[in-house]
Amino acid sequence: MPRQKQLQPKPTARAKKAAGKKLKMAIYWAAACGGCDVAVVEIGMKLLDLIQGADILFWPAAMDFKYKDVEAMKDGFIDVCLFNGAIRNAENEHVAKLLRKKSKVMVAFGSCAHEGCIPGLANLSDRQGVFTRVYRETPSTDNPKGILPQVKCQVPEGELELPEFYNRVKTLAQTVQVEYTLPGCPPVATQVWDVLQTILRGELPAPGAVVGAGVRNLCDECERVREGMRIKRFVRPHEVALDAERCFLEQGLICAGPATRAGCGRPCIHANMPCRGCYGPPDGVVDQGAKLLSAVMAIIDSQADVEQLVTQIVDPVGTFYRFSLPDSLLQRVQSDKQEASQ
Amino acid sequence: MAQSTQRDPNFKEEVMTEPGGENLPRCYSCGTCMSTCLVSRVSPEFNPRRTLHQVMMGMRDQALSGSTIWLCSACDACYPRCPQHIHISEVMEAIRNVAARNGIERPGPIAVVDEPACSGCGVCVKACPYQALALVDRDVEGKERRVSQVNKFLCMNCGICAAACPLSAISVEEFSNEDIAVRMAAEGWFTDQGPVKPGEPRLLVFNCNWCMRAEVDWESLTRFPPNVRVITIPCSGRVDPQFVLMALQEGADRVLVVGCAPGDCHYKEGTRIAQGKMHVFERMLKQVGADTRRVRFAQIDTDERGRLPSLIEGMVADAKAEAIAAQANR
Repeated sequence: MPRQKQLQPKPTARAKKAAGKKLKMAIYWAAACGGCDVAVVEIGMKLLDLIQGADILFWPAAMDFKYKDVEAMKDGFIDVCLFNGAIRNAENEHVAKLLRKKSKVMVAFGSCAHEGCIPGLANLSDRQGVFTRVYRETPSTDNPKGILPQVKCQVPEGELELPEFYNRVKTLAQTVQVEYTLPGCPPVATQVWDVLQTILRGELPAPGAVVGAGVRNLCDECERVREGMRIKRFVRPHEVALDAERCFLEQGLICAGPATRAGCGRPCIHANMPCRGCYGPPDGVVDQGAKLLSAVMAIIDSQADVEQLVTQIVDPVGTFYRFSLPDSLLQRVQSDKQEASQ
Repeated sequence: MAQSTQRDPNFKEEVMTEPGGENLPRCYSCGTCMSTCLVSRVSPEFNPRRTLHQVMMGMRDQALSGSTIWLCSACDACYPRCPQHIHISEVMEAIRNVAARNGIERPGPIAVVDEPACSGCGVCVKACPYQALALVDRDVEGKERRVSQVNKFLCMNCGICAAACPLSAISVEEFSNEDIAVRMAAEGWFTDQGPVKPGEPRLLVFNCNWCMRAEVDWESLTRFPPNVRVITIPCSGRVDPQFVLMALQEGADRVLVVGCAPGDCHYKEGTRIAQGKMHVFERMLKQVGADTRRVRFAQIDTDERGRLPSLIEGMVADAKAEAIAAQANR
């Protein structure tokens, strides 16, 4: 099942390089934590190399730009747009569509744009549920009048407007056409720089590709010792003293490594934490959560009580779909039902 | 009884020295194992009584030739019923060891590893109920890598590894991911142009090949109208939750996964694996607010006559009632 339509290559960067011109780039954040912008800054002094080869025309997280600056550009004026963040509200969607129009190449940068990421877990609820929780129920909320965000509201000075908060978080590719995906929460700086160099050299692969990552799973690179033990019970990291050398799955921790694309350099594993799955599914996997579940349940101990074992998995969706819910088949099954009942 | 021209008096001793083979002489050919065995329903040539008899008679060639000795899946359904308490699967294993030493290979399909796609994560190695997979270091596309390798003497082609493999790098003949996807969607089953009458609810059944004994139940599966599509798979452990999600997303109203009763799995572990997967899967459906009635997992005892057909009828009726209720609310 192809995830994205095959698109015609747009070899603009190559042409630019041949002509000796600087590339035009944009970097934007939608529903994101800012970590992806930090990931760009994290390339450090290489930023200076970047601006040797590219003009950054738009990067709200780093410098003062206005939307009207982008609106004033001709269509296709930007060569490459690195778009991070999910589509949570009307502003995210508006800017995604605007940048799509103005950019020749759109890169879903980071897990939020790629597959929805942590903000996407809000899809376990809906707008009303999120508002009720955030603006009424949380212990730190002081909102005696129960005021909720409104798209338009009147204040003595006039009318105020907020972007509409959508019912569901969507990925970038569910909103506009995307040429490339750079996974990660956030993408690691070395991979970001690799991809930026690829862009500068005009050597991006055929559209539809995942860039800045491997093809197989994290276990392919993981140096932890696998002794062939099956899972006797499921535990969470805070419940046990973790062995720093052994495979997490063999210790009973749900490590997303088997169903997660390699390429991050395993910072979590090296910090003695199981993989959480932010690089998304590897090649050959459609639904990361279902595949991880399928792999994990196949290696439970043959003596263990299955019914008891499965109750030890707290929050299955948050565990198996921690980063991929909006892009998952599971989400689509949920949406189908809701559309049908509307 | 097969004609034997040459008998090998040492053959029996050879089998008996193998682990598990020591029980062989206790067999008095009553045939209770044969009446219990589910393999013979699918492969009529399979007859454990005859094979054991051949070994005892020194009929080496007859016993070792053909597929018979390779078909036993060690489900051990015969074991509790054998009046002599012979672990027949262990005797079969002993005969296979002799065969393997004589260079005789298992006929028929085994799991195939796509080595370039394999990462050597070892999930399949742990998942296989027959220890038929192992990691080996070998040259793959010019690079020394650790990948999974199938032992052709041990693989039963159950497909548990294919469902477990996180990279879809293992396939089993006739039941690869692609094969199953094709069978799900064949004849445009999910579309309005397909065989399903408009308004009929679609029920997709992933049915274990070994959970039913009664021929009448198997026949009844073929008599359901086209809105019930039964895909028989080697083992419920072959079911990847991705199949279920794909079916629901494509337009199946209900999906039923059927496995053997707990403890009775034909492939030892498959039904436990499916039970775990489907249990968590149902919880996930609930978490996202999807209709949990759309997916069901059932474990059927071989002696529960009529259970599967009535389950199917029940789910179709339920889906119909829901559709009518939805229409009334509109």
